[in-house]
Amino acid sequence: MALMPKRVKFRKEQRRVRPRKATKGNYVAFGDFGLQALEGAWVSGRQLEAGRVAAQHFLKREGKLFIRVFPDKPISKKPLETRMGTGKAEVEYWAARVKPGTLLFEIAGVDETSAKRAMVRAAVKMPVRCRFVRRRVAV
Amino acid sequence: MNDKSPVLKATKRDRLGTRYTKRVRKAGGLPAVVYGHGSPPVSITVDAEEVLPHLHKGEKVYRLELAGEQSGQIVLLKELQFDYLGTDIVHADFRRVDLNERVRTRVHVDLQGEAKGLKNAGAILMHPTTELVVECRVTEIPDSIPLDISELDLNGVITAAQVKLPGADMKLITDSHAIIAQIVEQKEEVVAEAAVVATEGGAEPEVIGEKERAEKAAAAAADGKAPAKDAKAAAAPAKAAGGAPAKAAAAPAKDAKAKK
Repeated sequence: MALMPKRVKFRKEQRRVRPRKATKGNYVAFGDFGLQALEGAWVSGRQLEAGRVAAQHFLKREGKLFIRVFPDKPISKKPLETRMGTGKAEVEYWAARVKPGTLLFEIAGVDETSAKRAMVRAAVKMPVRCRFVRRRVAV
Repeated sequence: MNDKSPVLKATKRDRLGTRYTKRVRKAGGLPAVVYGHGSPPVSITVDAEEVLPHLHKGEKVYRLELAGEQSGQIVLLKELQFDYLGTDIVHADFRRVDLNERVRTRVHVDLQGEAKGLKNAGAILMHPTTELVVECRVTEIPDSIPLDISELDLNGVITAAQVKLPGADMKLITDSHAIIAQIVEQKEEVVAEAAVVATEGGAEPEVIGEKERAEKAAAAAADGKAPAKDAKAAAAPAKAAGGAPAKAAAAPAKDAKAKK
């Protein structure tokens, strides 16, 4: 089942402009390796779930997978062949706001080769270009 | 440490701000700042080609050769700023220090050995804290702190207090209860269960306060005085459930008026 919030303050939301670059959530914080988005997009709960299943299926019971984004933005869509007007349409899906640089997934407890192969599988399910990243050096 | 520490040749930056800093980077420099010891902070430029290999290697103490300042000033790397992708270092903070001064710095924990708990099926090694903040002399800052985890069993935990610091007068600043290494048994499809729980209530999430508003409106309607605002709120859940909107309900009343 796709991720979505349990409780919300408002049923629908305005679309809003997507800011350019990620200033937070753009480094590996929980695991050892991660999958970083290189483009901005709304990533739906269904896409995130597909990525998680693909990565976890490859890892089997090894390692721990972290999902770093949560789809909390309701996206509404008018049905096909509907005339304009008559108010805002119903919510079609829930999406996570992903900016260039945002970490989508992280993996802990596996070696780099396995982590890379799992992340490649998850990246295929994402609507954005992604890359594999490691932890930053300690300062 | 003083003899081994790399020498950085720096020049002062007179023009500050985004535009000039960008020009510095384009010209092959790395903008930085030096502060501490009661002296005013100085914005400097160091050669990126010269300093970046040292920064990536994890060097912390440098000797700064700055024109017009005290020659061979010992500085400690305090902070690095990265670009939005975390690839390029865009700025560095250096703090003036004395060699015998006690300073606080982050040191990476190097896990060594293969934990015996990892031989169990489904066991994974977690290390939520990968760096320790320690207080020590500038000359004694270690490159990393080795930690032997070969005796760590399933559900075993090594906390920061259990880590043996390399220096005798080195003091641990990180919370002593912080978990450095832990072997846990992986539960199957934890996220999937959470997702199912999240969506069990129905296809739509609960709207905060909507239930209370609907109850209030219903109570008001029972009393015989239905305020327009409350009636609208009561109609909202019906609309969400796929029922006819409030406008449709009001339509027959309009028709009756027209007939009259």
